Amino acid sequence: MTLIFLQIVLFSSILGGVTIQFNKLMVDYQTGNLVIEPSEEEKYIENTSSLQKKIEGLPEVIGSSARLRNSGVISYQGKEVGTAIYGIDAGDESLVTHLESAMIDGEFISRLDRGEIILGREVSGGYGALMESKSLGGVEVGDTVDVKIEGINREFRVKGIYSTLYSNTDSSAYVNKADMEEIIGVKNRANEIAVKTTSDINEGDARMKLLSLGIKEEVRTWHEFAGMLKTIENTLTMLRNVFSAIGLLIAFVIIFVVIYVNIVNKKRQIGVQKAIGIDQKVIVNSFVIQAMLYAFIGIMLGYLIMHYIISPYTITHPIQIAVGPISLILENFEALSRAVLLFLAAVIGSFIPAYKLSKKGLLELIWGK
Amino acid sequence: MENNTESNVIIEAQNVTRTFWMGEVEVRALRDVSLKIKRGEFVAIMGSSGSGKSTFLNQLGLLDIPTSGTIIIDSVDTSRMSEKEKGEFRLRNLGYVFQDYALLPELSAIENVYLSLMMQGKNKEECQKAASAMLIAVGLEDRLKQLPSKMSGGQQQRVSIARALAHKPRVLFADEPCANLDSTASKQVLELFRKFNKEEEQTIVMVTHEDWHVEYVDRIIRLKDGVLE
Repeated sequence: MTLIFLQIVLFSSILGGVTIQFNKLMVDYQTGNLVIEPSEEEKYIENTSSLQKKIEGLPEVIGSSARLRNSGVISYQGKEVGTAIYGIDAGDESLVTHLESAMIDGEFISRLDRGEIILGREVSGGYGALMESKSLGGVEVGDTVDVKIEGINREFRVKGIYSTLYSNTDSSAYVNKADMEEIIGVKNRANEIAVKTTSDINEGDARMKLLSLGIKEEVRTWHEFAGMLKTIENTLTMLRNVFSAIGLLIAFVIIFVVIYVNIVNKKRQIGVQKAIGIDQKVIVNSFVIQAMLYAFIGIMLGYLIMHYIISPYTITHPIQIAVGPISLILENFEALSRAVLLFLAAVIGSFIPAYKLSKKGLLELIWGK
Repeated sequence: MENNTESNVIIEAQNVTRTFWMGEVEVRALRDVSLKIKRGEFVAIMGSSGSGKSTFLNQLGLLDIPTSGTIIIDSVDTSRMSEKEKGEFRLRNLGYVFQDYALLPELSAIENVYLSLMMQGKNKEECQKAASAMLIAVGLEDRLKQLPSKMSGGQQQRVSIARALAHKPRVLFADEPCANLDSTASKQVLELFRKFNKEEEQTIVMVTHEDWHVEYVDRIIRLKDGVLE
């Protein structure tokens, strides 16, 4: 019972951990907690510096990063990759995302750098890129790449290569905002402003705080950007439920078989109890209570192992998977719902055979006639 | 005089027939058996293997339902009882000793004995008192808390006798109670039966195939091919 409980919650925790990690990657490397976008008919957010100042005046805001986002084509030694290219203020960006710490080669761009670019590993190729064929085939730090944005070509020196494990970000590139402004001919504008908030406020409340400043632009929480992630999350949730259901079914069958065999072995004992006049209800109840007791002990043991051993261990020693390190967190609601279902399986699994056998005749039970 | 004699009868079997089907073969284990057993009598049912003695005991002890015929116990016609009523009747009025003791292995000697008392609705203290008194009476005062697995066959059978007698049944049924015991343990069991029969006027119906057991009983009922000899 302990193992079954662990099997159900472990798998579920792994999938839960993957979902959390996906979301974390998006928040840490792309959206921050909130994203401000131009109102519907506008292409840009105007006067971003004063807007940023206003936003950053809120105590709940750690930082904001105004980005110019464009699709462009990066070429290197005859290979071309179409990708999203961001123009950022490096200092601001570091307050919002962890991009700076995701450098695997070279350095992060700085405010003063001009003509330099950092590439995601999927763009550069190598460094464990998953879509090698769609990359530039192994650009290295110090190489020069040709970047074409809105029909304008410009050469950039590769200053660094980063890997976030978040595919959207790893398939992008970043240049200094001043370079991007120069190429597309805008000033003090942005396509989006990513905002990082303190952990003591939830995104919904933070959004309301921003709106209360009189911001006319669209303010969205990162949840609204989940898009594909939401699909993955839904798929994982569905998988989680399917596997839980299968786990429960297996649990039910195991419990049923164990108790059935146990009861069949006690067939004669049931017969004797019936013979001396013990009520059928009492006999059935005794087996159901026994199964409930086993289930309770097993589930409690499983819960304690998960809560006090496995979860804390994976928090200090996260499991490395393709999307990064994950910890196995046991949510109380999840634990409770699985425990209740297992408990029910034990009750039903014990009641059916106990009831069926106790209905049999005394001769059959005692002497097998 | 006739009334006195009738009130002395505790079990009456009237034309009891029991037929089993083994596949398509009809086996008539009992054929129209009638008899009376008096209150306080110690009766042995004897016969060769397959003679129907255990089947007859099962009918008398309400462990089985006769194909035809009636069993009357203490003036109660049991053929009119439902299964539930029979269970209740067995619990309060009858006691059983089985060949293989049939104790509950998870329960200690005293718990095995007071289980049926508890089912009668007595409180735990009463049950424990009665159960320990009965275990002392069968000579197991030093084994009250012992599990059956830690006891010899003779000791287990004595626990089984204590269980059967703890609620002071009107009739005690014993199906080959000495079959798994050596002669010393068998003697102890039979002497216990004799003691309860004499001192408590306990009615006992015992199935046995051992000729030397007859010296302990008041009457022998012999069966052959499902009929009384």
